[in-house]
Amino acid sequence: MELTIDNIRKTFGEKVALDVNHYVVHSGEIVGLVGNNGAGKTTLFRVVLDLIKPDSGIARIGGVPTAHSEEWKEHTGAYVDTGFLIDYLTPEEYFDFIAKVSNIRKDVLHERLQQFEHFMNGEVMGRNTLIRNLSAGNKQKVGIIGAMLHYPQLLLLDEPFNFLDPSSQHAMKYLLESYNRETGATIIVSSHNLAHTLDICTRVTLLEHGKIIKDHDKDYANLIDEIQEYFIHNS
Amino acid sequence: MDFQRARLLYKLVSKNQRISTRRHPLMSQNKAMKIFIFLFLAFWAVYLIFFGVMFAFALQETNYEPFDWINGGMVYFLLVDFGTRFILQETPAQEIKPYKLHPIPQNFLLNVFLMRMALRGENLFWFFFHVPFALFAIVKFYGFIGFFGYLLGWWLMYVLNGYWYLIWRTKMQRNILYLLIPASVYFLLIYFGFFFDEQNKWLFKGSMILGRAFCDMNVLAYLFPIACSVVLFFVNRKMQRKCVYDEIAEVERVTKVKSREMHWLNRFGVIGEYMKLEIKSAMRNKVVRAQFMIGVIYMLLFCFVFAFTNIYDNQPFMKTFICVYCFACLCTMTLTSVMCAEGNYIDLLMSRKESVLSLLKAKYYFNILMIVFPMLFMLMPIMEGKIQLIEALSCAFFATGCIFPFLFQLAVYNKTTINLNQKVIRSSGRNTKTQIIFSLAALLLPVVLMYILVLCFNDLVAAWLMLGLGIIGTLASPLWLRNIYHRFMLRRYINMEGFRDTRS
Repeated sequence: MELTIDNIRKTFGEKVALDVNHYVVHSGEIVGLVGNNGAGKTTLFRVVLDLIKPDSGIARIGGVPTAHSEEWKEHTGAYVDTGFLIDYLTPEEYFDFIAKVSNIRKDVLHERLQQFEHFMNGEVMGRNTLIRNLSAGNKQKVGIIGAMLHYPQLLLLDEPFNFLDPSSQHAMKYLLESYNRETGATIIVSSHNLAHTLDICTRVTLLEHGKIIKDHDKDYANLIDEIQEYFIHNS
Repeated sequence: MDFQRARLLYKLVSKNQRISTRRHPLMSQNKAMKIFIFLFLAFWAVYLIFFGVMFAFALQETNYEPFDWINGGMVYFLLVDFGTRFILQETPAQEIKPYKLHPIPQNFLLNVFLMRMALRGENLFWFFFHVPFALFAIVKFYGFIGFFGYLLGWWLMYVLNGYWYLIWRTKMQRNILYLLIPASVYFLLIYFGFFFDEQNKWLFKGSMILGRAFCDMNVLAYLFPIACSVVLFFVNRKMQRKCVYDEIAEVERVTKVKSREMHWLNRFGVIGEYMKLEIKSAMRNKVVRAQFMIGVIYMLLFCFVFAFTNIYDNQPFMKTFICVYCFACLCTMTLTSVMCAEGNYIDLLMSRKESVLSLLKAKYYFNILMIVFPMLFMLMPIMEGKIQLIEALSCAFFATGCIFPFLFQLAVYNKTTINLNQKVIRSSGRNTKTQIIFSLAALLLPVVLMYILVLCFNDLVAAWLMLGLGIIGTLASPLWLRNIYHRFMLRRYINMEGFRDTRS
């Protein structure tokens, strides 16, 4: 599933949060969005997911403008923050809800949830706890699993490594890599964790003040050096 | 979307809404609150049933039939219904966020939420009054068909009122002053419909005719609220669609107080700095701001009714109650959760010597300054000759010298952090048993005390005695504030653990 962004600009007051002329993420890529705080990573996600209105421009998923139609939601999974969880449900009820909304049969849901067992580490399901009463890390896990449950062809995860313990971060990396390998899905991940991003991504995009200032494939020779140098100079 | 899928989605969203109500923090986390709400509702249910039966018989010996009186006063019922909806009804834009990333069309969701709004139990709450009333006043004239016709008509009016409320509730998310528009509409309707031309009370007569048409099961009569509801449904849908983006982005307007505007507080040193913090907190945080605004609205309403109507004339208990209530309600609303806002940054406060003591002092002085508001509002009944200046002053000092120290005790026991940017409705779910008891006591005990003093002596002596008690308490504030600080420090580990556990 291809994501295209054309001439998108979003300002908050006088501050330009996002200003991207043309940006394409091709099917099957794992793209890492990196940048310092305020670089525009989350704004980019929110514009793509039709969560905020851009001042101008258009974002398309599979050729469908996200602001004009909602068809793209059938093939897109996203986790932005805990505010998008139905927090008065238990994780089981939440997954069940997603399954029904996405026409997933009960046995298929059960099977798919088993694939996430290692990631959940026995801390999410079977505890009879509402999502709002889970720890930040476990809420994050519920959100990520919820985004992947219907096998989306485009997966967007905003800061997925936040709040996760090192073991879960490792499991998360494995999960994303295998998901991309098995389904050929496009994955876009924003993160402050440079090591994880460079480990799993096939392409890295660097944002600064809402603009894309570097965009390279992983096989680009100086990728790691250039990115690291950028962060050292801007520290 | 095909019918099967629409039906499935409707069922799923409706089920979630039912679960949401059942697991609302107000109900699920707090047993004391659950019992309190149940008792509160039961009390009002019994009260309304009693009034329903009483009105059915008491209004028989008048110029009109009892149901004409009730139908004629429809606008009053709708006004009270409008006010009660603030307690629980949320806007669809607030509820839509968790569904936004799922493959459910946004318009479909808005339709479901708005349609379900018509089917909510709140629209039937006043039936505790209407059902017994109709049984005794309508059945004998119109039979059971008229009985059901009457109830159906009133239900449609409450649904219409619900959609009307929703428009202004949504607007108030941006600016609470939008409340003035529906308030003015009700006021103008009541004034021009009842009092402007006392010979020809057009609103009374119009509502009376509409009510009779309900009892006659006149289809045209039902078409009026249905047509208005449909119009308001679409107005709401359009508004909510715009608001969804704001809700997701959590866009809000905050009034920033510039530092130089608070220069005068610099002369008070550390306490002045904490007072600046209090002012900024009141201006910038939804919970604190809403508590303040609701308190001011209550005070204004009470003072206005007291000064310019004769409802409470010759009722010494109500006079005492309103006078004390005006001075106690704002501080009760804010001080019941004293230290709960600071729970968000309690570790910072604890890392500096005696900063909690300075904070408590700042809070006390800030609340004393806030007494200016009820004092100003009280000028209305004072100028109208309903109460004496000394009575208002005695209540003001009694608040600062007796009610404040009483409520400040909660600084020792409160250990639940409130989410400052949460809607006030949700935040109230965190109230503990102790807070509920303290707030009830703060509102009721002074009234009882003053009433006893009035009975034992007279109005004037009672006022002087309360003034004396208040001045002593106010002058002793450094002592009791330090005592509270010491007790807070003794409990600091328990409190800090509680604050950390309840941060969101």
